[in-house]
Amino acid sequence: MIDVRALAKTFYVHRKAPGLWGSVRSLAVRDRVAKHAVDNVTFTVGAGEIIGLIGANGAGKTTLVKMLAGIIHPTSGDASVLGFRPWERDNALRQQIALIMGQKAQLWWDLPAADCFLLLKEIYRIPDDRYHQTLEYLTDVLDTRDEMNIQIRRLSLGERMKMELIASLLHTPRVVFLDEPTIGLDLTAQRAIRDFIISYRREHRPAMILTSHYMEDIERLCDRIVILSEGRIVYDGSLRDVVERYAKHKVVTAHLHDTGVSVGMDERVATLGQVLECNDLVIRMQVRRSDVAEASSALLERYPVADLTIEEEQVGTIIEQIMQARGLEQ
Amino acid sequence: MTARLFLQVFSIQARKLMSYRADFWLNAVVLFFVEFGIAYFLWSAIFRASGATEIAGMTLQTMLLYYVSVLLLGKVVKGTERDITVSTEIYEGTLTRYLLYPSNYFGIKYAEHLGLMAPALVELVLFGLAAVLLIQPSGSVHVTPRTVAMAAVAVLLANLLQFALLFPIQAVGFWADNVWTLLVMYRFASQMLGGLFLPLNLFPDWSQPLLAALPFKYLFYFPATTLLGQVDDASWLRGIAVTAAWCVIAGLVGRWVWRRGTHQYTGVGI
Repeated sequence: MIDVRALAKTFYVHRKAPGLWGSVRSLAVRDRVAKHAVDNVTFTVGAGEIIGLIGANGAGKTTLVKMLAGIIHPTSGDASVLGFRPWERDNALRQQIALIMGQKAQLWWDLPAADCFLLLKEIYRIPDDRYHQTLEYLTDVLDTRDEMNIQIRRLSLGERMKMELIASLLHTPRVVFLDEPTIGLDLTAQRAIRDFIISYRREHRPAMILTSHYMEDIERLCDRIVILSEGRIVYDGSLRDVVERYAKHKVVTAHLHDTGVSVGMDERVATLGQVLECNDLVIRMQVRRSDVAEASSALLERYPVADLTIEEEQVGTIIEQIMQARGLEQ
Repeated sequence: MTARLFLQVFSIQARKLMSYRADFWLNAVVLFFVEFGIAYFLWSAIFRASGATEIAGMTLQTMLLYYVSVLLLGKVVKGTERDITVSTEIYEGTLTRYLLYPSNYFGIKYAEHLGLMAPALVELVLFGLAAVLLIQPSGSVHVTPRTVAMAAVAVLLANLLQFALLFPIQAVGFWADNVWTLLVMYRFASQMLGGLFLPLNLFPDWSQPLLAALPFKYLFYFPATTLLGQVDDASWLRGIAVTAAWCVIAGLVGRWVWRRGTHQYTGVGI
């Protein structure tokens, strides 16, 4: 469904020296600096697949999504979305894709959601019966029936985001780009949006590309991730593989019985691994995978352990380490 | 772009503007009276001081009717002057949504432009009728159903021409960080050379062929004088042809600028 081949995008920006002299000089002479936002990126996404595009700010995630949605032209390389070159903006393609941007409102602020949807119905030429059926489904799942006649500008961020989702999915697109769909939302709203995306995916099986800084979005929604660093792909594979291949440590947590014995002063704890937390009630440490059994039995022997858990490192931490390591290599 | 979509966008824009009641009446009543008031006091003083009964073939009544016509029809042509928001959409990145939609951007924008003309039509009817009752037509003024129909065609074309001329200027926003100066220059040039400040027959003879060749005359002066019955059939046909030609030229320039501009659009802000 999405086929990206050696795609690259370079932006040229003017650099101006600070201060009055810098401003005066810029009237005559301007320094132009090339910024390689996306650099030789290749990957594919199949039908029903949802991939997480991960990277630090400025890694090129949004630029890549903008190219695939046809908003901007690439500098080089090629891409095909549903058989079309996206930046040629063929209406047949635009009928089948959607871009949802958490940071940018796409609806008309002065209008109530119901009017916006009617306008989109005409833009996408959705037949009456299909429009009502889809709108009914989306408003039910997202629980927005009571807010339909309120001006968009008067809705809360969470409510607005739900309306943005409805607006983008009214025409039941086959390819969906989600750019930070939960940014700025409270935990309840984040969960509602995630649940909705899962349910929508199950129902319609679109190809989806999700960018997010929230690891919970990625962990709950994506089986596969693509990690970008300075415009280049540094990892493309399953989320589970990231943990198996790159997690060098596990986190061992021992909850202790309150016996009054001071553990915090015990220097032997530090010999078992990197201590993350240590007091009279909890010992939490990062331990090399090969040393987990030894460290666990040492904890059980030496301290009054009531409960012991062994967990994988947080995916976010592992990804951060990969990005840092690959970033340094480049 | 379908007719239903065009009507939907038109209707939404018209409703949106008229839903702001205070703004509508301030814009309609206050602005009209200020602009017409200036013309009234200025020309009354000029006629009184000069002792003339006619200036460039126009009596004071004819002059005042010209200003009523040109101000009211001018509002229909200009819309609210805040409607063609292409440059703002480029700067704020909201243009992005239109690039995603499977519809014609020009069509949507023109429907919005027409929708914002609706309040001006209400003004035209209200003040136009009042003016006809208060200022008795005299001399060269002959408003008839035929001149009203001819003026309606001229105004519709002028409205399209205003849109077509403004679009490429706004689209300069793809390259420049600010098009405000260009817009102010355009506004001044179009209103001065279009007859909104002064009737164009007051300009020297040598400038008349130039004014007739430029597009601005057909935005304001031509529809207003057509309404007042001062344009014969042959001149009207020629005027309509020149307006249509300028629409095509400006449209082609707009299309070229749009293609080049969207090619290097960066979707800033997202």
